[in-house]
Amino acid sequence: MAFSCGENKKQEAVDVLSLSWEDIQQQANGKTVTMMMWTGDSKINSFMKDYIVPKVKEEHNINLEITSGQGAAIVQVLMTEEMANKSQSDIDLVWINGETFYQIKQIDGLFGPWTDKIPNSSYIDFENPFIGIDFQQPIEGFELPWGNVQMTLIYDQNKIENPPLTRAELEAYVKKHPGTFTFDNHFTGLTFLKALLIDIAGGNDALSGAFDKEKYNQYSTELWNYIKKLKPYLWNKGEVFPENVAQMHQLFAGGELWFTMSNNDAEVDNKINEGLFPETARAYVPDFGTIQNSHYLGITKNSGNKAAAMVVANAMVSAEAQLKKMNPDVWGDGTVLSLNKLSELQKNALENIPQRRYAPNRKDIQHKALMELAPEYMIRLAEDFRKEIIN
Amino acid sequence: MKQSSLYKILFLVIVVLPVASGLVYALLFSLGIIGVLKQGFNVDAWQVVLFNKPFWSSIGYSLYIALVSVGMSLSIALSIALSWQKQLQKGFLSNAIYLPLCFPATVMAFFGFHLLSKSGLLSRMSFNLGLSQDINSFPLLIKDSLGMGIIFTSILLITPFFIILFASLYQNEKIPSFVNLAKTFGATNRQILRKVIIPILLKRSATTIYLFIIFVMGSYEVPLLLGRQNPQMISVAVLQKIQRFNLYDMPQGYAMSLLYVLLILLILVVLYLNNNRLFNHQNQ
Repeated sequence: MAFSCGENKKQEAVDVLSLSWEDIQQQANGKTVTMMMWTGDSKINSFMKDYIVPKVKEEHNINLEITSGQGAAIVQVLMTEEMANKSQSDIDLVWINGETFYQIKQIDGLFGPWTDKIPNSSYIDFENPFIGIDFQQPIEGFELPWGNVQMTLIYDQNKIENPPLTRAELEAYVKKHPGTFTFDNHFTGLTFLKALLIDIAGGNDALSGAFDKEKYNQYSTELWNYIKKLKPYLWNKGEVFPENVAQMHQLFAGGELWFTMSNNDAEVDNKINEGLFPETARAYVPDFGTIQNSHYLGITKNSGNKAAAMVVANAMVSAEAQLKKMNPDVWGDGTVLSLNKLSELQKNALENIPQRRYAPNRKDIQHKALMELAPEYMIRLAEDFRKEIIN
Repeated sequence: MKQSSLYKILFLVIVVLPVASGLVYALLFSLGIIGVLKQGFNVDAWQVVLFNKPFWSSIGYSLYIALVSVGMSLSIALSIALSWQKQLQKGFLSNAIYLPLCFPATVMAFFGFHLLSKSGLLSRMSFNLGLSQDINSFPLLIKDSLGMGIIFTSILLITPFFIILFASLYQNEKIPSFVNLAKTFGATNRQILRKVIIPILLKRSATTIYLFIIFVMGSYEVPLLLGRQNPQMISVAVLQKIQRFNLYDMPQGYAMSLLYVLLILLILVVLYLNNNRLFNHQNQ
């Protein structure tokens, strides 16, 4: 019975991948796709609700339903469904990054390879390692790049004239202005720690490739020694760290912190436009660089609406949707499309979107972009951060 | 079928069965017997949890927060219930006292954050009154090692329950008659309070007090928002293990939750055996 069920699933997967795009579109017509995504940002939610949902309904007669959940929550749902031997998942499409990609791959929860099947993938800049490789893992058609961002540090130029650019300058800064700098205890804070680790290891590419335990042990010891030097001068003497980046933004907005961070280089524009940050807030990338990474769309292995999910994903990476998403007033998310592959008209449109006013231009920070490290680095950093610093 | 038997079956099916299933699931998961990433029967997770400091410090910290919160809440509730007996029976206060019960823990936690944080309301007032020189000279009231923010918010959440409970017990237990009786024997107000009113109220609400201690020990939203990463209250520590980056930490999370349940059950059994008469008396 279980064997035949598995065979059916395999058959269905093969069937979708063997169909022509026209047949896939036909099969998608009238279907309902459930997408699980992080819904913690009102601008992103509006983009999905007011733009993508009506777009796929009008163009393909697909009902796109958004459900809230990110990272571990997605993995938990898929694990539970797998354990319950559920033949059809409640989730069809997921918005993920490398950390979740790694976890879902561990439980074999993704469908694929499917990205070659959708027409708009031919415009995606897969050759760009910041897009085609996710946390040092080849995406191999199991996830579709949707957006690309680079981490920035955000400060208030009214309070700080020259923000620190190096590790030494950062140390000098925290000693001069104790209690005004920290990093969060979640994804963004760990991404910041990764950038410091890469800098300690010798800069870009020093830690690329698979997880290297020896290198990690060597450089992480230096990292913790450095953080221990900063600790007494961090927010609340480094005895506690903000739980997430949203809390950091709030502390920055309230004036308690003079720095916050964002994994989206354009977020400072969003937050100033929303009125959360002061107009004197600015984003920058220190000389030691910051991680640039992409976020992706995946289709669950047990989705019952794979064809419709593929059509939705195709619409989400269309030049039109990417252009809309890049606008700082809408979201400010970087595109994954290769300008060279687009028509002149599309290229001009993407190059002439409303400019960021407070965030640095992407071209100016690209040379400081660091590749994401293998997922095990993040797991070990999270674990050791608790042992070494929060103790 | 007798109605009482039907209720027993419904209780078993609706209450006992799901909880028992959850505990069995947690046990099997913690032993590596089930789970998508199961590694076969092993007691590794239990060894880590039992023989390392984090679990026990979380239990100790949760117990400390619960005892202090409930203790302070009881003092406040007793003072209010006894001072404002008449106002709590009828009029504005008799209705207003129910209002705080409408606020969920998350809302109260945000209120606590905006009131007590260094950039919060109290800090701003203190700065404007010249009591603090800048934002960082205001004392740390949330995410502090003593858990003051968590205790403050827990008190806000549970005190109204105790006020309502004590106000109603005061009337139902006919305490005014006992007070009059004590007065006729020449007892002072202080003696009446210490020897008559407080013992009756606390004895009659003992089970509720124990349950509130357990309730605060297991709270999640408030310590998540207002607590620090070390020590962590037990619910936050468990969820951290189950929902963080390393999927292979999940068995530890389930072992922690199961051990916590067993400890609580053990405490309840000990309390029940020591106070059998009290529990039965309260159920009459």
